[in-house]
Amino acid sequence: MKNWIQAFSVIDFISVGILLAAVAMNALRRIESCVRAYTLNSWLLSLLIGIVAFMIGETHLYIAAAVTLLSKGIAIPVFLRRIVRQMKITHDVEPYISNALSLTISGILVAVVYASLKEGIFVAGFSKNVLQISVAVILIGLFIMITRRKAVIQVIGLLFMENGLFLAGFSLTFGMPTIIELGILFDMLMGVIILGMFIIQIRRAFASADLDKLTVLKG
Amino acid sequence: MEYFQFLIILMLSPLIQGIIRKLKANMQGRIGPGIFQPYYDLIRLLKKDMVISGVTSWIFKATPYIVFASTAAASMIVPVITTKSPFDVMGDVIALIYIFALGRFFMALSGLDAGTAFGGEGSSREMTVAILVEPMMMLSIFTAAISAGSTNIARIAGSGLLFSPSHILALSAFMIAIIAETGRIPVDNPDTHLELTMIHEGMLLEYSGKYLALMEWAHYMKQMLLFTIAVDIFFPAGISNGTESLALASSFGIYIVKILFMAGLMALVESTRAKIRFFQLPSILGGAFVLALLSLLTYIMMSK
Repeated sequence: MKNWIQAFSVIDFISVGILLAAVAMNALRRIESCVRAYTLNSWLLSLLIGIVAFMIGETHLYIAAAVTLLSKGIAIPVFLRRIVRQMKITHDVEPYISNALSLTISGILVAVVYASLKEGIFVAGFSKNVLQISVAVILIGLFIMITRRKAVIQVIGLLFMENGLFLAGFSLTFGMPTIIELGILFDMLMGVIILGMFIIQIRRAFASADLDKLTVLKG
Repeated sequence: MEYFQFLIILMLSPLIQGIIRKLKANMQGRIGPGIFQPYYDLIRLLKKDMVISGVTSWIFKATPYIVFASTAAASMIVPVITTKSPFDVMGDVIALIYIFALGRFFMALSGLDAGTAFGGEGSSREMTVAILVEPMMMLSIFTAAISAGSTNIARIAGSGLLFSPSHILALSAFMIAIIAETGRIPVDNPDTHLELTMIHEGMLLEYSGKYLALMEWAHYMKQMLLFTIAVDIFFPAGISNGTESLALASSFGIYIVKILFMAGLMALVESTRAKIRFFQLPSILGGAFVLALLSLLTYIMMSK
């Protein structure tokens, strides 16, 4: 089994899948598909951690994989989908720049990451490309937060950044202590819930989740 | 024997077109014409007289020969059943892409030459698509070329099966490039002459008789050639490296299976997708370009 994973470079495939799910965010037009892209990203993330746990046989990585799957893979997507349904948002993502341009810029971001992380940074064993991919995911998440108008999409961008950070920490240190990981996950879960309430409040006050409307004064 | 492998593409390409049409018709619940129908069409067209507009120049008359000859030249470069190519020195992927570009350039000129609105429209659209497709084709082939250590297509094919995430990405970008280059459904509709949608057909609108036959045949050849390049680069397993007749026969059988698989894939894509608006094309082709770029980047990153 371990030989099989090595031979078919499963870890490479999964990490490229994580990157693709983040890049795909730039091309998607509907909010529901964005949530789906995030779900895919989280499942691949937890799969990756699970496989590494299997390869090096560490128990606390199994726990991290399971907790990631439960919180990021199931709880947060379900919550986001409920917000989307509750607000009856129009389906479009409404970016500030066109899809083609946004895809190109995310491609350039990935290129910049590869060029700048080529050498000089200590990485543990197998995970050199995982580190580069995680930094790319962080940057793409940031880029999505900057260029999207809808609050929900900005939250998803933040979540992508968090996934990228998690992956980066994991690839450099083979996972932080379980207690810290649990703390981060709990923090993030709370953050998403609070942001969800914010979105609903913004929507109630301005009849729209479009953050551009926040610049309009209300008497 | 290896000198005549391009005849396979020359002679079988109408058959592949017929098979794609038949499969498409069956998937849509129609019976459809027989798989040999493109041959009958070509023979019929070759017998017919031509009607040539009086305002056209020599470009209009030269284009069918240029297009046909450039496609035939391209098919001599590509290894079909053996990697022992007779034109080994010239068998370069970049040269191949620009031989295609030569044919496309003259086709676009001929569309403009007759001075009709549809021809010019077709030419302008074709060039727009070409600008988007060419770099993406280059990048996805470069991924394979780097890992094989050569841009010679026969050497890429001879270097064996490549299996890594970057090759999967490159393959998916290349498939989208094939769809755009052959004028299939998400990009162009090959079955209609509706003026709002046509790209490739728009440029051929003024042609009739023998010239039309040459242009259509060249189009079938280009399609089969692109399939061949895809299987050469991304699934080279089974292709013969020598010229023994037994090995060539088995290589031919495997080649036919692979090409039929590609044809089935094209028919499936065409039956399940709707044609997209022309102005949305940049977003799909841009996505495919990013796929090709990522394939190159991941290859560079993971190999070192």
